[in-house]
Amino acid sequence: MQMKRRLRHASQAILLATVLLLARAPIARGQNASPPSPKEEAKNSAEFKEFLYRVQAYVTLHKKVASSLPALKPTALPEMINAHQQALARKIREARPQAKRGDIFSEKSRAAFRRAVRDEFRGPQGRLARKTIQQGEPLKEVHVRVNGTYPDGVPFTTVPPTLLLRFPKLPDEVAYRIVDRDLILLDVEANLVIDSIHEIFPPAI
Amino acid sequence: MRKTRILLLTFVSIFFLAARADEFRFPLKSGSVRFAAIGDMGTGDTAQYEVAQRMVAARQNFPFEFVIMLGDNIYGGSTPRDFEKKFEVPYKPLLDAGVKFYASLGNHDNPNERFYKLFNMNEATYYTFKKGNVRFYVLDSNYMDAKQLEWLQKQLQEAGEGDWKICYFHHPLYSSGKTHGSSIELRSLIEPLFIKYGVDAVFSGHDHVYERVKPEKGIYYFVEGSSGQLRAGDLAKSSITDDGFDSDRTFMMIEITGDELYFQTLSRAGNQVDSGVLRRPVRTPAPTK
Repeated sequence: MQMKRRLRHASQAILLATVLLLARAPIARGQNASPPSPKEEAKNSAEFKEFLYRVQAYVTLHKKVASSLPALKPTALPEMINAHQQALARKIREARPQAKRGDIFSEKSRAAFRRAVRDEFRGPQGRLARKTIQQGEPLKEVHVRVNGTYPDGVPFTTVPPTLLLRFPKLPDEVAYRIVDRDLILLDVEANLVIDSIHEIFPPAI
Repeated sequence: MRKTRILLLTFVSIFFLAARADEFRFPLKSGSVRFAAIGDMGTGDTAQYEVAQRMVAARQNFPFEFVIMLGDNIYGGSTPRDFEKKFEVPYKPLLDAGVKFYASLGNHDNPNERFYKLFNMNEATYYTFKKGNVRFYVLDSNYMDAKQLEWLQKQLQEAGEGDWKICYFHHPLYSSGKTHGSSIELRSLIEPLFIKYGVDAVFSGHDHVYERVKPEKGIYYFVEGSSGQLRAGDLAKSSITDDGFDSDRTFMMIEITGDELYFQTLSRAGNQVDSGVLRRPVRTPAPTK
């Protein structure tokens, strides 16, 4: 009996170790990506902590608002998708009418994001990250604002994947996006801009 | 006598040329997986409709069961009218015949397309599905974050060795398109997974041309980004190109049976642009962890 329990504990420990190893798997960083140094990573994670806390608070609000609407299930009627997107955006806007730039990207986290972008573009991956953006419809003359919807029909600039690996992971409800030189935090389901960092990307990308 | 010989040779040449132009045939084997591939199609213009009509006609001889969509499914907006004009109307005969469409997202697509039932994405921007002995991995290459990479690694790892593994997504890892070209940064992240876990073939769009890339590290790559859009003359055939076409719109048809993949690429005018048979690469089993 005790033997069985030990075996179970051992297999659980192996599983946990595997998951942790996978999460840190170098393959997920790519062959050429340059991860931040441990010191830098520790600093970033401390500064990202508050940001993630605010993201979580936003997601809680999103879920609360979404639960007041009929759940959107796969539908053959695009008007249902549009209606849901618009209703969700309207209700989130109503729930945070004073939302402004910097509400989620706290001051400290903005510095960490800027550092991450700078390191990415100056590092060995910089040329490729720049190329990813150039290949992925860089947007000029497109203006978005917090609590405004992402304009319909405007493409989504491809976010360099190695840059995404430097940023904190986000819950499914929100995503990083690039508009011109700004980094945008987008509520994907509501298609709503919920925060941004101005001119974080270098000119001429 | 000499005249007779010349006449005979002419007849023989005509016979062989005719046979060659028409030589490609799908095996249409029982239990095979048959599908079509289209990319960068959602323009709503005449060219898209003409390609769609050609697909309907081609299906008379090659009854494909589903269509993989390589992104940029709906350009220029996501109103109900856009879905109607750029998807439902052009492909109506196929939809009515029960053909299913499996979409991946391009940079022109609203991610909420994942809720559109006819795209069969089941609310996910990246997902997997299986048909016969083929496992498909549909990726969101416009937003390849750590979560998606971990998901892909897990899915590939769990799939084992038996089935074909086909990945498709919008941005090509290899492309000789002048406008975009190869997505090298993305390649640095996902190609090692493809190699490690034995992905057999990859389909992408984004460059508005057709290109069959020479096998790269044992993986077959296709760019099919001209099923609606076209950048005529944009293909700069290079050392990676096996074949390509950039003077008209195209779509692909594929049949997989056993270890063989048969493919044919047709132009909007119905001309064969490319065709062939690819054998599934033999690989050493991937490590279990």
